[in-house]
Amino acid sequence: MKKEVKKSVQELESPVVDLKVKPGDVDTEPDLERPMGRKYPQARSIMPEKQLFEFAEYKPQDAERIGYSNYSYWKSVWANFLKKKSAVVMACVFVLLFIFTFVASAIGKYDIHMAPDPTNRAFIFPNGEFWFGTNSIGQDYWAQVWYATRASILLAVTVSVCQVALGVIIGLVWGYVRKLDRFFTELYNLIDNIPTIIYMTLIALMVGKSMLTMGIAMVGFGWLATARNVRNLVFMYRDREYNLASRCLGTKLHRILFRNIFPYLVSVIILRLALAIPGTIAYETTLTYLGLMDIMVPSLGNLLAAARAIFPRAAYTLWFPATIVSVITITFYLVGNAFSDACDPRNHV
Amino acid sequence: MSDRTAEAISAGMSAQIEEMRKNVDFEAKARKILSQKPLLSARNVVVTFSLRGNKLTAIRRTSLDLYEGETLAIVGESGSGKSVFTKCFVGMLDKNGSITSGSIMYEGQDLTQLNEKGWLNIRGKKIAMVTQDPMTSLNPLKTIGKQIQESVELHRGMKGKEAREEVYRILEAVGIPDPKRRYRQYPHEFSGGMRQRVVIAIAVACRPQILICDEPTTALDVTIQAQILDLIRRLQKEQNMSIIYITHDLGVVANVADRVAVMYAGQIIEIGMANEVFFHPLHPYTCALLSALPQLGVKGEKLPAIDGTPPNLFNKIEGDAFAPRNRRALNIDFLEEPPSYEATATHMVKSWLQDPRAPKVELPTAIQRLAEKTENKGTDPNAKHPHMDPNRETLIEVKDLQVTFGSGRKKFVAVDHVNFEIYKGETFALVGESGSGKTTIGRAIVRINPVTNGEVFFRGEKVSGKISKEMDEKVIRSMQMIFQDPMASLNERAKVDYIVSEGLINYHLYKDEHERQDKVQKALSEVGLLPEFSSRFPHEFSGGQRQRIGIARSLIMEPQFIVADEPISALDVSIRAQVLNLLNDLKKSRGLTYLFIAHDLSVVRFISDRIAVIHKGRIVELAEAEELFFHPLHPYTKALLSAVPNPNPYVERNKKLLVYDPSVHHYENDAPVWTEILPDHFVYGNEPELDGYRKELNL
Repeated sequence: MKKEVKKSVQELESPVVDLKVKPGDVDTEPDLERPMGRKYPQARSIMPEKQLFEFAEYKPQDAERIGYSNYSYWKSVWANFLKKKSAVVMACVFVLLFIFTFVASAIGKYDIHMAPDPTNRAFIFPNGEFWFGTNSIGQDYWAQVWYATRASILLAVTVSVCQVALGVIIGLVWGYVRKLDRFFTELYNLIDNIPTIIYMTLIALMVGKSMLTMGIAMVGFGWLATARNVRNLVFMYRDREYNLASRCLGTKLHRILFRNIFPYLVSVIILRLALAIPGTIAYETTLTYLGLMDIMVPSLGNLLAAARAIFPRAAYTLWFPATIVSVITITFYLVGNAFSDACDPRNHV
Repeated sequence: MSDRTAEAISAGMSAQIEEMRKNVDFEAKARKILSQKPLLSARNVVVTFSLRGNKLTAIRRTSLDLYEGETLAIVGESGSGKSVFTKCFVGMLDKNGSITSGSIMYEGQDLTQLNEKGWLNIRGKKIAMVTQDPMTSLNPLKTIGKQIQESVELHRGMKGKEAREEVYRILEAVGIPDPKRRYRQYPHEFSGGMRQRVVIAIAVACRPQILICDEPTTALDVTIQAQILDLIRRLQKEQNMSIIYITHDLGVVANVADRVAVMYAGQIIEIGMANEVFFHPLHPYTCALLSALPQLGVKGEKLPAIDGTPPNLFNKIEGDAFAPRNRRALNIDFLEEPPSYEATATHMVKSWLQDPRAPKVELPTAIQRLAEKTENKGTDPNAKHPHMDPNRETLIEVKDLQVTFGSGRKKFVAVDHVNFEIYKGETFALVGESGSGKTTIGRAIVRINPVTNGEVFFRGEKVSGKISKEMDEKVIRSMQMIFQDPMASLNERAKVDYIVSEGLINYHLYKDEHERQDKVQKALSEVGLLPEFSSRFPHEFSGGQRQRIGIARSLIMEPQFIVADEPISALDVSIRAQVLNLLNDLKKSRGLTYLFIAHDLSVVRFISDRIAVIHKGRIVELAEAEELFFHPLHPYTKALLSAVPNPNPYVERNKKLLVYDPSVHHYENDAPVWTEILPDHFVYGNEPELDGYRKELNL
C-alpha cells in the first residue's frame, strides 16, 4: 500500500481498480447503521488515506462536460426505421423491381414495338415463347408490362416530386406570411371545392390527353393537400422563439423559411412523398379507365383498362399489371408509415 | 436536535426571528417525527429507464421515510429524479421505466410488488397526486363537479345526492366560492389558480393518507402560488395528511416544508428538518444551491454560482455525483460514493466532508446572511445608479405605448398608456404576472410586435411604426433580445456556428470566412463556452449552456441595448446564478443597457437599478429598486411584494399575504394619472389615492 503514495492527482482521471480486493470487503450498500465503520478498499488502492481527504484540484471544463447527451435525431430515425423489417424488405423489393424494368426489356425476346398480329397471336397463354402471353392484338405482353411499369413509376415519381415541392413552397409562404393567408385560403377553396375529375376532363378534352399535359395537370391540382398540411405545420413553428430571434437579427424571409422551418418539415414531406407515389399511380389508372389518358403509350393504367375489357377471356392480362400495382402501393404505404413512426420522437425509446 | 445546530441558528438571529421561531416550532416537529414509526418507507430504491437503446439509472439506491402528518419537500434540479422517485409511490412510472431493486413498504405491503389490481386500492384512495399543469389533469369535456364526484363515488362509496353534497363541501373546503354554480362549470371557465384548486379537490376528495404534490404551483403566478400553498397547508392540518412536496424553488420549500430532502443525480444527498437544512446545510451542493440564491446576493457583487451542469445519467457516476462541479471537492469524492452520516437524529447527509478525517469547511457567508436576515433589507444603499447621474443619457424612451391584438369585436388591448425612459448603463426591470403585457412591451421595442399607438425612441430617433431601411438595420444592430426558453429559442436543426453568426450573415458584417469564425469563437468564449462547441447541434447542450448560446447570438451584433425576456425563469436553480453573473459582467465590460423582464421580484431586486410594476397592460408603479421594496405605494405592488417567497423558513411561514382587489379603485368619476410622487418614483392613481400615498410617505 505504501508504495503507491506517489501516485499523482492526474492519474485520478482513470482510476486503477484493484481487482484483488476480496468481495467481502467491498461494501456496496451504504450502511445507515455504521457509516463511520465503512471500508473503502477501492479508493485506498489508489492513494493513501491522508491524501484521500485532501482537497482535489478543480477543473472547470469537467463541470461543463458532464451534461452532454449524444442523441442525434436522424440517427434515431434511421435506427427505428431499420427495426421495421417489413418496410425494409418491401423497399428492397421495390428497388429491385424498378431495376428489373430496365433489365426485363433487354432480356425479353420481343420488342415493345412488335407489329400487331391479331389473327395469329392474340390471347396466347403465358408459355416459353411469350413469358407473359400476348395481348388482344398479338403483342408480347412481357415487354408491354415492364415498359408500362417503368413508365408508370417514372410518371408517378416525377409528378409526386413536383407536386410535393410546389406544395411545400406554397405551404411555407401561406403559413408564414400572415398577409397572404387570406389569398391562399380563398385560392385553395376555389380549386378544392370543385371535384378534380371535372377539371381533368375539361383539360383532357380541350388541351389534349398526352402524358405531359396530364402530368402537368396532376401537379397543378396535387399540391393542394400538401400545401395545406405544410401550412398547418408552419403555424406550429411560426411563433417559436427561435423564429422571433431570427427576426430580431434581421433574417430575410426566405432564409427563415428554409433554414428555420423547412428542416422541421422534412419528415412530413418524405411521408407525403411516399404516399403521393402510389396515389399518383392509382389516379393515373382512374384517368385511363375514364379515357382521359393517351392510350398509345403503355402504362399500368392502360394495361388494366384494356385487361378489364377482355378479363373473362384472358385473366392473365389483368393479374400481371394488378400484381405490380399492388406491390408498389403496399411498398409505399408500409415505407411511409414506418418512416412517420420512426420520425416521432416519442418512439425513440 | 443537537446543541450545535441550535446555537448556530440562534447566534445570528434577531429578536424578530426569535418571535417568529415560536410560531414555527421545528424542534417539536422533530421530536414528534422521532417518536413515530414511518408511514411509508422506501429502501434502496433503484429505478432504471431504457431510453434509445441505452440504460439510464434515474434513481440510484435511495431511501426515504415518510411520517404521519408531516410535509416533506423534495428539492432538486430537473433530471435529479425527484418526480420519478415519487411516481414509484403511486405506481405511475412511464412504460419504459422500472424499479429494479429495493422496496417501498406501506401498510405492511411492498408497493414495488403490487400488480395493477392491487394499485387500485392504494392509488388515489390512500396515496393521491397533484401534478404541475392543471389543464392536462382535468377532462375538458366534463363539468368539474362530475369529475370530483367520480372520485368520491369510486373511492368512498357514496351515491347520488349524498355524493353531490360531499362535492359541494369539498369545493368549499378548497376555497372555491359559490360551489353550486361552480359544480356545473367546465375547466375552461376556471382561471389557472382555480383549476389547480379543483385538481387538489379531486386529490383530497377521498381523504388520502399521503398527498404527493409535484410542482403544483410552478405554472402559476406568485400571488396565486402563495394562495395555493396556504390552501395545501390548511388542508394538511384539517385532514392530517402527510404531504410530499416536490419543487425546485427554495422559497416554496421554506414556506411548506417541515422536513427537506435534497436530491441530486438520482440520490437524496441531504435530508433534515427545514431549519437544519436551511441554516446549517452540510452537503456542498446544498450550500452552493442556497448561496446562489439572488435573494442572498449583494448587489454589484458576483453571486457564488455553481459552474457546469447537472450530470447526464446515461454516464456512469462514480463517487460523489456533485464532485466535478464542487470547487472544494476532496480526492475521495471522485472515487467513492460517500455513506450517509448522521449529523443529528433527523439530519442525514451523504458527503465525505462529515468524515472525522475530512478537513473542516466553513459555512458560506451567504448562508450566514440567511440566518441573520429578518426581512429583505436593502442590499447596498449607497449604490450608484445610472439614473441618478445628472448627465444621464436617455437611451430608450417609450411614450404612450399601446399595443392591441386582433381587431373589431375580438380586439384585445395588451398594453395601454405605457410611459418610461431607460437611461444608458442601467438595468430597467419590468415586473408583472403572466398576461400583464410585459413581454409585449419588450417585443414592441425591438419591433417584433407592431405598435398600435404611441411611439418608441432610441437615442432620440423614432423607431416605432414605419421607418427607413437604414434605420431598421441600425435598430437591429443596436437592440437585441434574449429569450425565455432556451429550449425553444435555438433552432434545433442548425449548428451553433450558424445560430451564433446568423446576424453577421444577414448584414455581412465580416470580411471573409476566417473573420466570421473568429467572431463566433470570440462570442462563445465571452459567454464562457468552449470554442469547439461551434460545430455541435443545440440538443447536445443543457439549458444553461443553451441560454448562453442565445446570449452569444445577440452579443455578436454588438448591441447597446438588450431586452432580456425572463432569461432565467426556465433555468435550473443552480444555473440561474451563472446567467445572472454573465449578464452583469457583460453590462460592465460592454457598457450594456438592459430591459429585464421578469415575474420574480427577488431576482429583479438583485439585478436591476429601477423596477416598473405592470398590471393588466398598465404600469402601476415605477421606482428605484430599493425604494420600491421599502415604500411600495400601489396596492398591487404591495400584494406582489407580500407574495415573494423568502428562503428563510421562519420569515416565510410568518409572512402576511396581501391580496390585490382591483375594486378598491374608484376611477369612474376621478380618472387616474401617471404621477411622479417623489423624484424618480412614479405611481398610477387618482387624486384621492395619491393623497393617501403622500400621507404614507409623510409628505
